[in-house]
Amino acid sequence: MYITLDGTRYYAYTGTHAPDPDLETVVFVHGASMDHTVWSHQSRYFSYHGFNVLALDLPGHRLSQGALLSRVEDMAEWLIGILAATSARDVHLVGHSMGSLVALEAAANLDQGVSTLKTLSLIGFCYPMSVAPVLMDAARDNPSKAYSMMTQWSHASKTGGEPVPGFWSAGMQMSMMENSPEGSIYCNLQACHNYAGGKEAFERITCPILFVSGKLDKMSPARIAMKEAQRNENASIELLPGCGHNIMFESPDGVLNSLKGLIDA
Amino acid sequence: MPRPTRTRFDTLSLHAGQRPDPVHGARAVPIYQTTSYVFRDSDHAASLFNMERPGHAYSRLSNPTTAVLEERVAALEDGVGSIATASGQAALHLAIATIMGAGSHIVSSSAIYGGSHNLLQYTLPRFGIDTTFVSPRDVDGIRQAIRPNTRLIFGETIGNPGNDIMDIPAVAEIAREHRIPLLIDSTFTTPYLMKPFEYGASLIMHSATKFLCGHGTVIGGLVVDHGRFDWEGSGKFDTLSEPYAGFHNMTFDEEMSQGAFLLRARREGMRDFGACMAPTVAFYILQGIETLSLRMQRHVENTRKIIEFLQSSEQVEGISYPELPEHPDYELAKTLLPRGAGSIFSFSLKGGREAGRALTEGLDVFSHLANVGDAKSLIIHPASTTHHRMSADDLLKAGITEGTIRMSVGLEDPDDLIDDLSKGLHLAKKATG
Repeated sequence: MYITLDGTRYYAYTGTHAPDPDLETVVFVHGASMDHTVWSHQSRYFSYHGFNVLALDLPGHRLSQGALLSRVEDMAEWLIGILAATSARDVHLVGHSMGSLVALEAAANLDQGVSTLKTLSLIGFCYPMSVAPVLMDAARDNPSKAYSMMTQWSHASKTGGEPVPGFWSAGMQMSMMENSPEGSIYCNLQACHNYAGGKEAFERITCPILFVSGKLDKMSPARIAMKEAQRNENASIELLPGCGHNIMFESPDGVLNSLKGLIDA
Repeated sequence: MPRPTRTRFDTLSLHAGQRPDPVHGARAVPIYQTTSYVFRDSDHAASLFNMERPGHAYSRLSNPTTAVLEERVAALEDGVGSIATASGQAALHLAIATIMGAGSHIVSSSAIYGGSHNLLQYTLPRFGIDTTFVSPRDVDGIRQAIRPNTRLIFGETIGNPGNDIMDIPAVAEIAREHRIPLLIDSTFTTPYLMKPFEYGASLIMHSATKFLCGHGTVIGGLVVDHGRFDWEGSGKFDTLSEPYAGFHNMTFDEEMSQGAFLLRARREGMRDFGACMAPTVAFYILQGIETLSLRMQRHVENTRKIIEFLQSSEQVEGISYPELPEHPDYELAKTLLPRGAGSIFSFSLKGGREAGRALTEGLDVFSHLANVGDAKSLIIHPASTTHHRMSADDLLKAGITEGTIRMSVGLEDPDDLIDDLSKGLHLAKKATG
């Protein structure tokens, strides 16, 4: 469905259901130069199992209009605006990679009088999310090279064998990034690299937090999420074997089961 | 963190899509000879059918062995995925039926496989889909043939029977301007000799029966999606961008932006038309793909040697092979096919039908049959076999003569092939006095 905010149309996948005001809402936020379809299995599952779903396209991405946002804080503010516009009351926030930073920042700043944060799930998370100079340079000067680097780094297996029949995950990621809006990868990676509010954000969040990481994630190493999970009383962590950073495609069931464990609890 | 490197073609040919069997450790791809799969519980079953979880429910829709083949071919073509079908013809039909319906129009190369021509010329009009045929060398003609209801441009990497090379980059640009996809039949070249996605094609199909399998043992096809075509933005493909009542009002393009085509092809096309590939067939094709680059190199090397021999024969009037300077697409072939122009070519034999018949019937190593892309060398004389009812004038209209011979050069020792042809040419000469 489309949500209009300040005169601009933004897209949210809802699993073909209109939102039910009596249901809790699971909100999915994608990563750099991705779109809502990275959550295709997980979002569809929750939409058919008693939840509203908003799997968002960030501003300027895929079906959403608007300019690209260059700061995590701005994306979080936009997300809070979307929740208000949809009257989402009880909310479960789920973010992947850059989207996990956006979800974290939004969770810390959510006006609990408008939406109540029930849980926060951070997939493929690390903080700080420093971006290697070689990748940042490629994102600025040669986006296709950056897409290729990220695709190779994002997969635990270099030869596939993923669980979704008929699809080549590396090809899917490359295609999605090649189709992303011009300038998005550099803009998004800058946002990741420059975000400095993570520590303060965690201190303000009181709801249960789940970290889900691929054991073989080279982009956001699991050890960083493990340290963060140990620091937070409300946090738990799930490590998925045989997975890298493109974890929703490498283990759709693993991610879904982890989310179900938190959100259904 | 070390710089990432892409896995290369030969490694993908052997490994893509498969991890060693986690239960028994089998290194080869197991043949999952099963129609169906036990559900963990009812919710799991419902989730599989509703695409909330990945997995297999029924082998007409997907099968673990076939899925390895699909992923492997997608990896080799740099696509997002593929669907294996019962034959190459089933792949072509699946591609067409997924993106259009009655009232649609196709612009097709006129130099295509006879089976594809029959489908487009005679069968699809019965279902309201018309085709305009244009020479693959007539790029302007292709542009002019496009109508408001055109939904596809179709051609082959190397056409039939004149080995015409389609200028894929130029035709892809026309397709892009008109916001319609270009589907390329890459059967004769395989991803080893050409990757049409690199030149702008949106979809690729294969008759895997030929070089991908490579051993003349099974029939199969594949359709591969590059995942770059904007189905929603085009505004011409309701099957992918509008809710589909046949699958709970799913809008495929919203569900999986890069995989919308394959999603509908599987969820509708495989479900309803049902032209699926058997797992054992997939296994044989996977075996073939393991040696694809080695075989294609040898196919091309042998072909060059055979052509060199035929050029020295006074009985041979003309050889149609894009690597020869006199071929109309010589320069284009150098650009699009730097690794070689395949192993299928034709030549005209002096002495007409009688000579052609004598040659093909007099060979021992070459097999006289109607197929291409086998490890074994194949030969056919259309005027005395597939086209035997046609007059000399009608043959000319189809682009062949009474003496046209088509060859698919295999992997035998090239000297044995040349010895065999020497004998055959001698018999042809005797037969025509």
